Formats: sequence, structure tokens, C-alpha cells
Amino acid sequence: MANHLRFIGRTVMVQNGNVDAAYGALSRILSQDGIIESVKQRRYYEKPCRKRQRLAYEACRRVYNTEMARKISFLARKSRVDPWLGC
Amino acid sequence: MHAVLTVAWQRLRGAACGAGLGRGVHAGVRRLQELAEKGAEKGAESLSGTDLSPLILQRNSMRWDGKTYEEIPIAHIKATYNNTHIQVVSFDNRPFAHTSCGTEGFQNAKKGTAIAAQTAGIAAAVAAIKGLTMGGLEVISITDNTPVPHNGCRPRKARRM
Repeated sequence: MANHLRFIGRTVMVQNGNVDAAYGALSRILSQDGIIESVKQRRYYEKPCRKRQRLAYEACRRVYNTEMARKISFLARKSRVDPWLGC
Repeated sequence: MHAVLTVAWQRLRGAACGAGLGRGVHAGVRRLQELAEKGAEKGAESLSGTDLSPLILQRNSMRWDGKTYEEIPIAHIKATYNNTHIQVVSFDNRPFAHTSCGTEGFQNAKKGTAIAAQTAGIAAAVAAIKGLTMGGLEVISITDNTPVPHNGCRPRKARRM
């Protein structure tokens, strides 16, 4: 970031002196943007074969999790308030 | 009256610059911009250092103790896996205080703990405040300055091979 303006990128202003909230916001933004994860991965070199394996694993995991969430939300439609309660 | 700080948070990086990535209470380098109440000269500059468009030049009216954002001192926090360094600097890079976990008396593995980082932070704040004749530090912004290469240098090989 040496060629960019200071304190523009990856900066969070502290509101009402709440430093912890600002730090939490910064952490959330960085993790959502994948910066923290990429820094962790770059600590040690990841060989291309390992990288391909990891990406395939993450893709499969993403597909599985979304499908499972869809299934669960579909099945959860069964658990609604009983419309005939008291009859 | 209290000093105002903007914190720039820099996470860890490679061997050339620091160490690895450290997540935790003090995971990364934070740059705290600290406002000097008296101390530093209050220049009549407006929007110095930033190269904004000359067509629309609006004055940013945010002031902390009469100082614009660019004039507030900065506290750089470099947090590695094994240690934490804190240096408080004015906006024009005049050093105020420099502490690390090692200067606090911690040794070896204990330097990498959060408690050691907290101790170093308190010591740096106190030393910086003494230099600025202030009491209390107010953080106004936090910046993360971890260098992320766009596939630059190759890091070391994975461990336990």
C-alpha cells in the first residue's frame, strides 16, 4: 500500500470512542473480503497441486452446504404454528 | 482533554518485513493517529498531503481538538506471531515513543502473547502522552496495513514436510 494514499484503504473510523466495535467492523470487512484468509495462506507457499485440491474441496463444500441449507429451510416449512389449535 | 489516535492495523507479513500473520487481540499493525492537544504546531494547511481534484475542493470540517485528520499523530503497531512493536509517530514522522514486548521485560515465547502486547501498548501510550503533555489517548480510526502481494515473492516452504 505504499503507492496509495494513507488511511484511505482498509480504514475504519472510530465512532463515539468505541474502539472495540471499530475493530470488530474492520475484522468483519477484512474477513468478508478474503484478505485475512489470503494472508494466512501466503504465510507458507502452497504448491499448485495443493491449491487445486483446496479449491476443488471448497467448491464441493460450498455446493453441499447450500443444498443442505435449501433442504433444511424447505423442510422447516413443516414446523409452523398450528392453524387449527383449539379446535 | 485527551489525545486522539487513529490506529493503523498492520497484519504480519513475510520474513523480510516482519513475521507471519497474527490474529488475536493485537493481531496486526495498527496505526493510531493520536491527536496532540498542544505540542505539535498547528499549521495553517488545509488538505495537505492529499491530491484531490482541484475542481471541487471542499474543506473537510471534521476536526479533533482543532486538528484535521492528516495532522493527528499515528501509532504504528506491528504485530507478528512472536512479538508486537508499537511506535507512536507524529504525522510528519517525528518519533514520539517506541516500545515492544521485549522492552517490557518479556522473553522469548511470552513476547507473543496478548498480555505482553497490552503492556507494550500501555507503555507506548504513556510515553507518547508524556511527550505530548497529554492525558489519555483517543483512537479515531483504525487502519489495516498488512502488505498483501499480488503474487510477488514466493514465501517459504510449508512446514513438516
